Amino acid sequence: MIHGQIIFYGASVALFVIGLYAVLIKRNLIKIMLGLSLIEGAVNLFLINIGYIWGKTAPILSNKELLAHPSAKAVDPVPQALVLTAIVIGVAVLALALSVIMRIYETHGTLNVDKIKELRW
Amino acid sequence: MILNVIGWFLIYFGAVFLFLGALGIVRFPDVYNRLQAGTKCTTLGAFSAIIGVGILHPAWLAKTFIIALFILLTNPISSHALGRASYRSGVKLWEKSVVDKCKEFAECVEERNE
Amino acid sequence: MIKKAFALLLVIIIGIFLSATFAKIPFGVPKTVVGKYYLDHGVNDLGGVNIVTSIVVLYRGFDTLGEVTVLFLAATGLGMVLAGLREKDEKKRKKTAPSLIMRTETKLLFPMIILFGAYIFIHGHLTPGGGFPGGVVIASAFLLMFLSHEKWEAKEKYTKITEALAGMTYVVIGLIGLYVAGSFLENFLPKGVPGNLFSAGIIPLIYTAIGFKVGSELTGLLQNLRETTE
Repeated sequence: MIHGQIIFYGASVALFVIGLYAVLIKRNLIKIMLGLSLIEGAVNLFLINIGYIWGKTAPILSNKELLAHPSAKAVDPVPQALVLTAIVIGVAVLALALSVIMRIYETHGTLNVDKIKELRW
Repeated sequence: MILNVIGWFLIYFGAVFLFLGALGIVRFPDVYNRLQAGTKCTTLGAFSAIIGVGILHPAWLAKTFIIALFILLTNPISSHALGRASYRSGVKLWEKSVVDKCKEFAECVEERNE
Repeated sequence: MIKKAFALLLVIIIGIFLSATFAKIPFGVPKTVVGKYYLDHGVNDLGGVNIVTSIVVLYRGFDTLGEVTVLFLAATGLGMVLAGLREKDEKKRKKTAPSLIMRTETKLLFPMIILFGAYIFIHGHLTPGGGFPGGVVIASAFLLMFLSHEKWEAKEKYTKITEALAGMTYVVIGLIGLYVAGSFLENFLPKGVPGNLFSAGIIPLIYTAIGFKVGSELTGLLQNLRETTE
């Protein structure tokens, strides 16, 4: 099934590339952080896509049929558990990074990366 | 059978209203008109679509009623807060607007205070 | 300008390489063996119907303890980074009080949202959701109160105590597992009938602890941010 590869993997590649573009081109720190969040979303989407199996349902065995043949009816639960962890860590990192950005704005008076001497490349 | 018809009718009714709301957001001239389209149409649209789903699947009816109640409680409030905040921060009305009750009210309050 | 062109070129090259790599990974076929094991044996081993929750809380419970610790460290670090910020803020923005409609409505909604969050984390082993989404929903209720009531605040003392107690509950449950069943975070309660509310051993207990912990942590984080922006 080639179209699944194109659509679902393609979506995560597109998200990753957009996020990387924002990180490299944008000069505003908050926009760079948004780009990093987009990259994180791309990685999560890719992990979920890896776990998907054609024609199967979510790994919540809530009825008799599913309970009888779980592995024949449900998708792979391991990537989903991984993504659950990754989302929480992502939120924590985002909050911490935003607070550091607030601090940078306080000390330097600007969010532009080019105008902050310590962050120039 | 009759429940089926009612359920599908409610879902399509809601879909039409959601479409009208989206059209209003594109077509209306200023923030306040757009908020009106966005709130009124989406509240009724989402409400009837969700209740329609509940009628199609009677086992979910109680849950759908609770969801609909939440939408009914929260949607107008958020739009009220948005409208008030944009008025207070000085977003202009459309030039062809005929009435500005908020301004009249503010003037009344000022007169009473003086 | 050259920098921009260089970055664009880099982005395009990385995009092409990623696409070329992903094209070799088949889509929609089973890949991991351990996932099949979890699906086939998860209900018999642990009694939880939601396999993802079983993996997160019991099969990989130690990992989740670390995850909760990371969240705690991030919240504490945010408080520390922002600590000196609020005294220096001299210029105050003009603010208007929230309207009567907002205040009345949020008072009505606040307990309902808390109840919904509690529902999410108590039913973590039966439905999609669990401790982390439930905690976030609870924190959103507190955010609503912060937005609509100027004077209302979540006292740092109480959020810290709730957080510490919840974290301690998690570790104590793990230690009881070590004592009763022989290893840390091992299930020591009866498994019950799969699909019932009182089933799946210690999953609901741990998820309740996580829900309280995440909720109080994020509430403290929001309180920190709010004190800074005022």
